[in-house]
Amino acid sequence: MPVRVAESSAPSQVSGAHSEESSPPICSLLTVGQAFSGTQNVSNLQKEEAWRVNVRIQGCDLEHGYLCGTMEALNVPMADTPVVTFWEGEIVDAKNYTFYTGKWEATPEDDIRHWTKFPSFAPLLSRVEADGGKSLDLSNYPYIFMRWKEQYFVNVGTDCGLTIAGFYYVCFSCSDGSINGFYYDPNSRYFFACNSFLTYYCPFQKLELKCANEGRSGFSFSSYELQ
Amino acid sequence: MPTTTASAVCTTVGNNILLRLTSGERDVKLKALRELKNQIIGNRTKKLSFLKLGAVPAVAGILSDAVSAVDVADNDENDRIVKDIIVQSAAVLGSFACGFEAGVRAVLDAGADILIQRGCLVEEMPLLKSYMEVVDAGARSLKMIYQSKMAPKYDFLQEENMEFLLSLLNNESENVSGLGASIISHSCKTSLEQKLLFDAGVLKRLTSLLGGSLIQRDASLESIATIFKNNPEVVSQFVGPDTGRTLSCIIEIVKDRFARTRLLASLCLIVIRNASPCYLQDVGIKTKLINNLLELLDDPGRVGDEASFAFSSLIAEKEDMQKLAFEVNGVDKLYNHLQKGSLHPRRFEGILLALADMCSKLECCRSRCLSLQVLKLVVDALAHDSSDVRSAACMCLRSVSRSIKNLSAGSFMNETIVIPLVRLLDDTSTAVQVAALGAISNIVVDFTTRRSTFIRLGGVKLLVQLSKSMDSTIRLNALRALRNLIFLAEDKCKEEIFMELTASLLASLICDPEPSVQEQALALVRNLVDGRINSVEYIFAEDGIILDAVGRQLRIASKAEIEIQGMYVLGNVATGKESHKEAVMDQLLLRAENKAQSCIIKFLQSNDSRLRTAAVWAVLNLTCSSSPGSSGRLVKLHDAGIVSHVKNMVNDPCLDVKVIYFSSLSGFLIVVLMVCLMTSRFSLVQLRVKTALEQFNSFDDSLASTSCLQFLTVRAVGELSHVVDPSSKEEESIANYFRFSMKKNKKKKSTRTVKFCFDVPADSL
Repeated sequence: MPVRVAESSAPSQVSGAHSEESSPPICSLLTVGQAFSGTQNVSNLQKEEAWRVNVRIQGCDLEHGYLCGTMEALNVPMADTPVVTFWEGEIVDAKNYTFYTGKWEATPEDDIRHWTKFPSFAPLLSRVEADGGKSLDLSNYPYIFMRWKEQYFVNVGTDCGLTIAGFYYVCFSCSDGSINGFYYDPNSRYFFACNSFLTYYCPFQKLELKCANEGRSGFSFSSYELQ
Repeated sequence: MPTTTASAVCTTVGNNILLRLTSGERDVKLKALRELKNQIIGNRTKKLSFLKLGAVPAVAGILSDAVSAVDVADNDENDRIVKDIIVQSAAVLGSFACGFEAGVRAVLDAGADILIQRGCLVEEMPLLKSYMEVVDAGARSLKMIYQSKMAPKYDFLQEENMEFLLSLLNNESENVSGLGASIISHSCKTSLEQKLLFDAGVLKRLTSLLGGSLIQRDASLESIATIFKNNPEVVSQFVGPDTGRTLSCIIEIVKDRFARTRLLASLCLIVIRNASPCYLQDVGIKTKLINNLLELLDDPGRVGDEASFAFSSLIAEKEDMQKLAFEVNGVDKLYNHLQKGSLHPRRFEGILLALADMCSKLECCRSRCLSLQVLKLVVDALAHDSSDVRSAACMCLRSVSRSIKNLSAGSFMNETIVIPLVRLLDDTSTAVQVAALGAISNIVVDFTTRRSTFIRLGGVKLLVQLSKSMDSTIRLNALRALRNLIFLAEDKCKEEIFMELTASLLASLICDPEPSVQEQALALVRNLVDGRINSVEYIFAEDGIILDAVGRQLRIASKAEIEIQGMYVLGNVATGKESHKEAVMDQLLLRAENKAQSCIIKFLQSNDSRLRTAAVWAVLNLTCSSSPGSSGRLVKLHDAGIVSHVKNMVNDPCLDVKVIYFSSLSGFLIVVLMVCLMTSRFSLVQLRVKTALEQFNSFDDSLASTSCLQFLTVRAVGELSHVVDPSSKEEESIANYFRFSMKKNKKKKSTRTVKFCFDVPADSL
């Protein structure tokens, strides 16, 4: 089915009209090189199904509320190899981005409907409803809310029959490095929801990832330094 | 038939002129001077040939004699000839110095600058109308000399010099006041000199000259920029109280019909804005400046060459300006100039640097560059004859390759780009080598599997070679490139890099005399031992000399950046096997000579939250409950006093450390219990567990308590249930205490979860 791919504006950010106080929290587990693995539930009325998913953070610019990386779906039907996409993320920090998406055809109602699926959003709901959460200081909050938007396929062509039209509402837990997300595709809102690659008849596909230590006994950290 | 060559003719003519210069007849001498002046004006070749014939000292001698002979106040026929001789000889000397460094050197060597100043710019000059021609000629000549960097520095600190300068600026002659302005532009370098000139009222005089002739306006704009440069104090003192008039005047000149004046006015405003960003915030003015400089690029002469450099200084490091420049199609306009081809090297360099600055921060600029296929021209420029152009091309490539989006797509790791870049690692210019290393550092952060391209093209060999350079800047940049290349690299790639680098070289680079090199070497090792678990083995090569070097550096380093990288090395190694963890323990618990405590305690207490975080991760990895030897290591860490330091971190203002602490606390609860159980003292068990649980309760100061606390306490108690016999009274005691704590904090939901978690394995939590 034809699914329109939305334009991204990141990482050209809103110029800073807010103070530094509301800058996002720094979390070791949300830095470049960190890997996450888990599943995306793509069950529909006909059958239960979940795809294995690996995510790797490749870039992080907290000052601009920007994060990016790759997402690899392992057992995608119709695909011979794992499908890798590159995504860019907006960190909801009340400075660069708020809880309201304001693009990608997501209405404030769509936003609230998705954010409220995260239990950790509950304490913030009233403030978000009042002013979009602009007055919230999220710098000490142990969860980081984000939107991840896939931008392109890394290892397959655009004619692969798959689509990346929607985006994810994401909640990262600083406590344990877990990530939960809900996929949203505006073009499927009335009848079904899409996951990132294929359209399925299922509401609120959930992405569940845990910090992966890749066979190590603990957490390791790499880093690069761009010039 | 043999003929006379052109150069021989020149030499003959030159000798003839020089011969006449030595004539005793003043008329002959004067005529020869005029002839010489006409020969050399605007002709470098002639200047050079007369220079070789010794014309400069000869003319300086004539000037000296004439200055001694003239009576400035007299105006008879004889004195008029002498004055003409002074005028002509000063003009000749000035011409030699104009745009010709060898000429400047010769003029200075002959002491002509002093002669001109003494002979032409006499104290009485404001009163002597008859002498004004001489004064003007002297001023013009000195101005040319002061345009050269080789000219001696004018000493503003001497009172009489400052008075003389003011007398120049106050002179009605545009050449004389222009000379005053040139002296300032040439010699004012320090903030003290800027302040002295400001205090002497020079800026007020220069501002008034803005309304003068073209020469005065241009000279004044240049001097004002010199006095403001990087001096917010002077800018605020001068512009502050009178913002409207002074700035408006300069802003108005930005629209001047003369290109050079527009450039100088723009430079003046750029200097003001760069020194004090609070001025010139108006978007309209900023846009006007950007547009003006982009238009000036069309000037075919020197103004056009310099416009791109002014543009760079306006937008460098300033995202708002880069955004504005992008909005007025700055990338496209620069690209259009680049496309013209056959550019003068200076212009080529400037445009490449301007593009580099535009792409330094904004992804939209990089995307535009890539869609316009600017890189093709930039890559061509990597092989340009001029080292400045090659260097600028590298910088442009470096900025564009900051795009993670395109690095992820592998847009830069291809032979078209890598081959010429790698070739520049062998460049004769150090500046080019450093610039090439900067671009390579970015390009090798390749998230695809194309790093092999770089290795295959000999990149690693050259980088390793440069990491042994005598020049620490080269070593630093080569190591940074290797560090980025090895970031999340596949095993084969790591293996090849390590074979080239060798353990002994890495160990010596960790102990490099330059701290920034040490930091990069440690960051490289940190990446080397990350990834698949067998990567940890690299640090144990050659009897563990790398690990020993890391440990030694951690014990003696005093720079946080080095300590952070070192701790991440140990933290990464501590994610390995038991033997790896034990080796890290040995390093951490070793004390440096004359040190009362181990370095890990120092790091846990550091003011730098990044270092505290790195240190906590290392401890956490050592005490990871999944490894069999963790309890033994925890006991050692406890005995070394490290546990108590970690506990103190419960109030750490940095959330990251706090969260890690809570993550690790479950492990510490185990060790506390283990330690206590080993001593079989039940009361102590209670006490320690109670203390630990109290730490959880103290994390109750924000929204975090409702969620983070809940999760962590559940997880911690879940792990406790593994340690303590489920049927024992200890478990009941802990559970009761926990219920009590939760009740106190009104966390009923948590209490229910706690009950539950005693019945399920910790892993499932």
